[in-house]
Amino acid sequence: MSGTAAAGHALDLRGLTRRYGTFTAVRGVSLRVERGQFLTLLGPSGSGKTTILMMVAGFVPPSEGQVLLDGADITPLPPERRHFGMVFQGYALFPHMTVAENVVFPLRVRGLGRAERDGKVRAALDLVQLSPFAERRPAQLSGGQQQRVALARALVFDPALLLLDEPLSALDKKLRAELQDELKALHRRVGRTFVNVTHDQDEALSLSDRVAILNHGRLVQFGAPAELYERPRTSFVADFLGKSNFLRGTVRGAQGGAAVLEAGATRIAQALPDGAALPSGAAALLSLRPEKIAVLAEGEGADTVVGGRIAAWSYLGADFALDVRTDDLGTLRVVLPSWRAPIRPAEGMAVRLGWTADAAVPVEEDAAA
Amino acid sequence: MTGGGHGAGPLARGVAWTTALYLLLPISIVVPVSLTDQRFLSLPYHAPSLRHYANLFTSEAWLGAVWQSFWLALASTVLAVAAGTLCAIGCWRLGRRSSEAVRALMLLPLIIPSIVYAVGLYRWFGKLDLLDRFLGVTLAHAVTGIPYVVITVSASLAAFDPRLEQAARGMGASLGQTLRWVILPRIAPGIASGAIFAFIHSWDELVMVLFITSRDVFTLPRKIWDGINENLDPTMAAVAVLLVVFTVLLLWADGELRRRRES
Repeated sequence: MSGTAAAGHALDLRGLTRRYGTFTAVRGVSLRVERGQFLTLLGPSGSGKTTILMMVAGFVPPSEGQVLLDGADITPLPPERRHFGMVFQGYALFPHMTVAENVVFPLRVRGLGRAERDGKVRAALDLVQLSPFAERRPAQLSGGQQQRVALARALVFDPALLLLDEPLSALDKKLRAELQDELKALHRRVGRTFVNVTHDQDEALSLSDRVAILNHGRLVQFGAPAELYERPRTSFVADFLGKSNFLRGTVRGAQGGAAVLEAGATRIAQALPDGAALPSGAAALLSLRPEKIAVLAEGEGADTVVGGRIAAWSYLGADFALDVRTDDLGTLRVVLPSWRAPIRPAEGMAVRLGWTADAAVPVEEDAAA
Repeated sequence: MTGGGHGAGPLARGVAWTTALYLLLPISIVVPVSLTDQRFLSLPYHAPSLRHYANLFTSEAWLGAVWQSFWLALASTVLAVAAGTLCAIGCWRLGRRSSEAVRALMLLPLIIPSIVYAVGLYRWFGKLDLLDRFLGVTLAHAVTGIPYVVITVSASLAAFDPRLEQAARGMGASLGQTLRWVILPRIAPGIASGAIFAFIHSWDELVMVLFITSRDVFTLPRKIWDGINENLDPTMAAVAVLLVVFTVLLLWADGELRRRRES
């Protein structure tokens, strides 16, 4: 475990497609992960994310397309010749072996000498802080410990890539958050390229350098987490990654990076990100995050102001979640920090909401949203 | 009446006990008969005697038959275990409908009456010069022992997590290494169970032996059969008792294996 960023490898997927009979599980997915990056494939179940991982691992041959590692085509290689570490869903630890025997397995199949094996196993177990448990069997460990054994086993042979198939899904919420932090620290320490599959958006946002959002086998959007969160391209991305309000309006006048949308009697001021253009007279869809809507104090203004009544609210500790019914924009979800909140929410209370012109983002509508 | 179930009525109880006795009495009758002090099959007249056990362990004919049966059972078990295990693993890995057909085919020796098998073997082995040969009987018993191994190994494989195989392959293990270090250790109890049944199957098989052997291969069941037909020697009751004890021991071992697998 030499632990340098140079140890990672770049992964290229080119037009990956997988069909099962008439069903297409993955359609033409292309993306590139740079050395040492943490990529997450994020999508609902049936989106094809696990199939993509299995094609990278070599367990599922693509119907079309290629997998390239540092520019070399590895598509025809069987899994045992790719030298990728993999953490399986449910870990797939060998129940008849001790922790140490599990971790030494990849070295044993490579015929390494005993001394070299022992050193590497010790280092791998130290890395995941499991050295005291070397002689236990997997069944005698907790879920989190088993997950760490799986990580040690996947990393012990200096794999070119580490593949993770929903590594945290079997754990309870608190443990998941802990191991998320550990996984992130581990990625920093070993400096390898990680490819993670999950349906958990928080996990994707907090762990990844790059996130690929998949739906119905297609790559919907690919980029850094903040980019995807702030600039979702479609309504599906906006809805799947975080929560979003959707505002529909008709474009009335767009010029110089700003537009005005009309929804009933409400006028929405909307900034246009570089290159985006909204043709006048067309219908447009905006995604507006609940935390970007402010509850305005009396006399306070904003680029867009809309009045409404609180239809429902809940207290979440750090925040209030308000559902505000408006005449023209439907019900808007508003997240209001509870510390020094300008109002004390009550059902039926009249409120004025406001947001800046750059708070919302125009998105394409996709059927799945 | 605990656990919410209904207790058995007197009729059900009676039928159950009758059935149990019907199963056990013919077996248990050989115990006193084996201890007879007479020279023919009978219950002891004056006092129980161990003379027939002594005869069994000193008679070359009986000991020869015991050893011949033992080696036959061992050899045919080895063949049946190898073939049956590989077949079960192959079907499991393919996992297609065609492999279901193969598995069903493998069970044929259990379904086809052994007399039919024996007639066929007789004709076939005559041409191959395998009649009355150790190899011939070994092959016959091995083939008919395969179903037991296929059944028990398939059952263990059904409980085997296929991701373990994927994991092993993903970590660079070849098919051979995966088989040796991951699959076989996990299904070893199933293989052992199959081996025990295949051994018992060969150990007490008579019908085929009657057809395909004459003088040179003389198994224990064959010796008992001849004993009944020819001289009613009580030694065979002693043999029968030992056979029962031996079989019970094997089945007990099988039960232990199963228990260990479950824990």
